[in-house]
Amino acid sequence: MSKVEKTHNKMLNATQGLKNIMGRHFLAIEQAYRDGKPTAWATSGSPIEMLYAMDVQPMLPENSATVSAAQKFSQKFIEIAEAQGYSYDLCSYFKTNVGAVSSNASMLEGGTRKPAFMLSTDVICDTHVNWFQVQAERMKVPHFSIDVPHVVSNTTNRQLHYFKKYISEQLYEFIDFMQEVTGHEYNEEKAREVSENSWNLSMVWQDIYNLRKEVPCPISTRDTFGGLFPLFTMPGLKEPIKLYKRMYREAKQRVDNGVGALQNEEFRLMFEGIPFWHSLRFFSTLEKYGAIIVYEPYTYAFSKYMNPNITKEMVLDKPIEAMSELMMSFWYVYDLETRIKKFAETVEEWKIDGVLLHENLSCRPNSCGLYDLKKHLMDDYDIPCLVITADMNDPRKFNAEQLSNQIESFIEILSKRRN
Amino acid sequence: MKKIGIFDSGVDTPEEIILAAGFIPLRLFGDPTIEPDKANEHIPPTHCVWTRNLLEQAIRGLDKDIVGIIATHGCDRTNREFDIWLKCINLDFMFFLNSPFKRDKIALKFFIDDMKELIAQLEDSFSVKVSSEKIKEAIKLMNKIRSLLMEISEFRSKMVLKGSEFHALVKEVQQIDKNEAVKLLEAKLKEMKTKKPTINKTYKKIMLTGSDLDDTEFIEYIENLGFQIVIDDLGIGTKYFWNRVDENKEPIEALAEYHLEKPIHSTKFPSYERFDVIKKLAESYKVDGILNVAHKFCEPVLYDHPYLKEKFKELEIPYLFVEVTYNRESYKQLSTRFSAFAEII
Repeated sequence: MSKVEKTHNKMLNATQGLKNIMGRHFLAIEQAYRDGKPTAWATSGSPIEMLYAMDVQPMLPENSATVSAAQKFSQKFIEIAEAQGYSYDLCSYFKTNVGAVSSNASMLEGGTRKPAFMLSTDVICDTHVNWFQVQAERMKVPHFSIDVPHVVSNTTNRQLHYFKKYISEQLYEFIDFMQEVTGHEYNEEKAREVSENSWNLSMVWQDIYNLRKEVPCPISTRDTFGGLFPLFTMPGLKEPIKLYKRMYREAKQRVDNGVGALQNEEFRLMFEGIPFWHSLRFFSTLEKYGAIIVYEPYTYAFSKYMNPNITKEMVLDKPIEAMSELMMSFWYVYDLETRIKKFAETVEEWKIDGVLLHENLSCRPNSCGLYDLKKHLMDDYDIPCLVITADMNDPRKFNAEQLSNQIESFIEILSKRRN
Repeated sequence: MKKIGIFDSGVDTPEEIILAAGFIPLRLFGDPTIEPDKANEHIPPTHCVWTRNLLEQAIRGLDKDIVGIIATHGCDRTNREFDIWLKCINLDFMFFLNSPFKRDKIALKFFIDDMKELIAQLEDSFSVKVSSEKIKEAIKLMNKIRSLLMEISEFRSKMVLKGSEFHALVKEVQQIDKNEAVKLLEAKLKEMKTKKPTINKTYKKIMLTGSDLDDTEFIEYIENLGFQIVIDDLGIGTKYFWNRVDENKEPIEALAEYHLEKPIHSTKFPSYERFDVIKKLAESYKVDGILNVAHKFCEPVLYDHPYLKEKFKELEIPYLFVEVTYNRESYKQLSTRFSAFAEII
């Protein structure tokens, strides 16, 4: 029990291991350059597993951009990009990357190296494709993009069928592209192994998430915001599975002992959107109100195997077809109708008192529909919601004082509902 | 006659299918004289000013003859906004057409599938039969319109037809009965053939590119500052009549091919191909400069701008980029930049 108490109000001890895992990821990138192994930039939502299956080392510039923000470099890089003509209104991840690459920033500052090729997709946002088009042209490297048709609230099953076919055909074409660029052959056995690791990694993450249903909640965003990155950068490797299992065991121990991540849990919140990586301290300030975030669709979304139609057997036996279907059913980009229902269900299952909706000035696809989501959650389900306007990577668009006042009022509303 | 409204930031919607189903295709345009008060309750103020305006009009009430909407994928706000339209607009027929962002053979097959789905849903919703024969007839009609517009467009560079007048004409064609459009265009062509150049020869000849600007007053505003738009690559312009649909092919395939082969929008991939098209047109029409205008928050155009700027600088072709909000008062703030541009060229 005493060991558990030491972790009280702090991140899990196991989460400390994240630094090592991510360190290994960056070392693997360096090693790939030393060994002449092909590397690729990829956008989030891309089938990273396919890169691992083809023995290509992935690099995710979005991940690097968050490093810049956390290290307080993002503003400098964003301003470099703006001086090159990129608008104040464009994605701050993109501009961070442009500035970091232009100034030859180190990996510790969020820099990233020239890859053998780039892989983008519009599964989350078409600006990903614009971003890589800019950088592929500047770096003179090949760029493959996967077009994912957009599922809207009235898309029919008949449509999903040919949407999936379209994605599959592109994924097979992508294999040909990689073979041509890297000279590597597609190996089904290797693809199976990678798929299995990816599946297992996601399942442990989902188990961890299920523990967050407990009252008090054993895990806070101190664990999940950083804990997300292996899902993002290393789906297909074994090492992060061990880390997640350690996180799970420790969290389970907290649950068994009735211990929460927060000493006095009063309010359970949900946070929709990408966190403000430059101001993560905001999330700790919630603690003074006894508030803890117990669910973030963003960090859960990357445990991609959430579609009930996709079984482990399908993932292992038909990885391309399974991936095609998964790319259409990504939690972060659910159509509005599905999004409302999924939010309402989540609020109930995770016993959530209120929802914080991040109107991210850098992520228009995600923030479009947020007002309707709020309206329906409040009117149809009586769920208190607060819209916060900020930016994931640009600290200039973050008003700490205003946000603090908003949170205070929101907590007051939640308190009154208790009485 | 009933109409199907088109919500499309480009011109990728196959109007022929709507015609073959027995409806008038009516492309929706914004109204810069209204404030998007109601739309602001649904879409954040930092999102595309133009689509917000369209939603505002839709909430206030669309043309009473509109019985359905086809929204065609432009950028990735369009699918999200379509979901909002579904919540706000009470129409029986609402279809989102996933115009692919790639332009290869796989994308072509997909676009054909999506057009077939559109036909199936039109047939189900309105109990009509959209036969190949009817689509072929519509292709012929639309090709006639394209040919007429191609001819009339040339009178801009001959300094006979004002850019704004042509802009208004293309807009009208995108909203009225297509048989009426043919009559209108035939009369216009006849008129053009008899007219002499009346536009001030000292006006700077420019090419217009960027977001699909739909406020003709903005075009007039530019003209009044001493410019003549002789060519463009916009949807309310050359993209609407770039080529002809192949009348000898299977009609749906021909339509999909037509749309994927015309000059690329900034919303599609690889949008950098726009440079080749703009360069070719700028050289063919011997323009004095290129004007790239983005609607405020139009991300795809904003992404392309630094690349285009650099490329045209290399070619020593004067290039001006401006962002405009969807409000006529704001145009005045641009006069200094336009005047400086006129001096440079």
